[in-house]
Amino acid sequence: MLAQKVTVQYPDEKIELPDRFHGRFELDADKCIACMLCANACPNKVIQMERAKVGKKQYLTKYVMRIEYCMFCGLCVEACNQDALHFSKVFNMNQYFRQKVRLILVDRPVPQEEEAGEAADVKRPATEGTAGAKREVAAGRSAAKEGES
Amino acid sequence: MKTQTYFLNLGPQHPSTHGVFRVILELDGEVVVKATPVPGYLHRGVEKLAEARTYTQVIPYTDRMDYLANMLMNWGYVEAVEKLLGVEVPERAQYIRVIVGELSRIASHLIAVGSYAADIGGLTGFLYTFRDRERIVDLFEMLTGSRMTVSYFRIGGVADDLPEGFIPLLQKFLADLPGLCDEYDGLITGNEIFQARTKFVGVIPPEKAINYSLSGPNLRASGVNFDLRKNRPYGVYDRLDFEVPLGKNGDCFDRFVCRIKEMRQSGRIIQQALKNLPEGPIQAKVPKVIRPPAGEAYTEIESSKGIFGCYIVSDGSNKPYRVHFRRPSFINLGCLAELCVGWKVADVIAILGSLDIVLGEVDC
Repeated sequence: MLAQKVTVQYPDEKIELPDRFHGRFELDADKCIACMLCANACPNKVIQMERAKVGKKQYLTKYVMRIEYCMFCGLCVEACNQDALHFSKVFNMNQYFRQKVRLILVDRPVPQEEEAGEAADVKRPATEGTAGAKREVAAGRSAAKEGES
Repeated sequence: MKTQTYFLNLGPQHPSTHGVFRVILELDGEVVVKATPVPGYLHRGVEKLAEARTYTQVIPYTDRMDYLANMLMNWGYVEAVEKLLGVEVPERAQYIRVIVGELSRIASHLIAVGSYAADIGGLTGFLYTFRDRERIVDLFEMLTGSRMTVSYFRIGGVADDLPEGFIPLLQKFLADLPGLCDEYDGLITGNEIFQARTKFVGVIPPEKAINYSLSGPNLRASGVNFDLRKNRPYGVYDRLDFEVPLGKNGDCFDRFVCRIKEMRQSGRIIQQALKNLPEGPIQAKVPKVIRPPAGEAYTEIESSKGIFGCYIVSDGSNKPYRVHFRRPSFINLGCLAELCVGWKVADVIAILGSLDIVLGEVDC
């Protein structure tokens, strides 16, 4: 009866989660080559992907996870051989509306640089800068969502 | 005096049925005349779903059958695919499988013991076993990232090696385990009311247990010495030293006590496996796309509830043609109708609890 408490006061205190914890997914869009390995590894067809060809490479334009069907088995993360898809430690994914549950990890337009041609090396840093800014906006949006929940 | 029988609906939403399970009781006063079990409320069609998934993609679905002993469910399925493929699993993976499998068995028995105490009316026992099960679940979380739906086994090995800090925590738990079992024995098993409620209630004689094809602790409590880990060793169980605890009377009390004794033995098995854990690969060389040759395979393992069998038919494609799971909970439930007759309503709860069913597995 005088033993130590085994529970913690949850919202104030949190138990530290292990590194392998299966939380919400994170995608490193720069590393992703849109190879569809993760989408094909999924037992429930959770991952929906749109891609476009930019130069010789596949360019990921949209990466949506129908997280309401996800079993968090980790087969997609295991399938990724570019080390792009990860689990985070965020487990608070509940939403008030079903439409908001869907996890949009990447939603971006095709970069315009292919019109300028591959030789335009001077322009490239600038376009990359805008792409980076867009990603920041997307990250901010997801952060805002987190705050909502 | 002439009395009329009446019907009492037990479940499907009832805490003592351990899930969504319904028993229609025909009662004469308080005595059961006839009991009709109605399973099927948790049917998801796992076997059918498996036909539309690749061999690896079925693994997460097996977690969800006996969700209290998920590692063992993984094992049963993976073993069958390995038999189809003819893959040799590396030593280290074999030992890791034994470690996590036995941990799963302990976790499952902890729930069985605790929830049985709660069924009989002592909620304290329930809290004690759940406190200790938490430590196993935390270990699984550390190892696999998930607490219950682990999906840890892979065809030809396991998903990941043991993380840093796993073995010290596990050893600490194993060191505490005998003491914890003593605590349950003192708190629940030794309780006079508990014994009065369970001793000589729902007796299954050994012949009847065999005829009903019972397996696991339910069979061994009747005094039948049959444990697949001993009788038909798979994996590396033939190299491990452990005893098979048996009961005498085959009543609810024996079934309960058998589980506590098995936990102690599982602790011993894990200790030996940890001592002999070799270095080396954790995954056999398996092609990326698994296409077993056309044919069929059936394997059985000793799960926490009894014999878990998996039958797979392959047509040579990357998806199984047919999968069937022999779920011990479902088959152990077969004797319930006969077992309940003549007992009072409160004893029905005691009998059902002592069989230790998991509805995810019963309905599959």
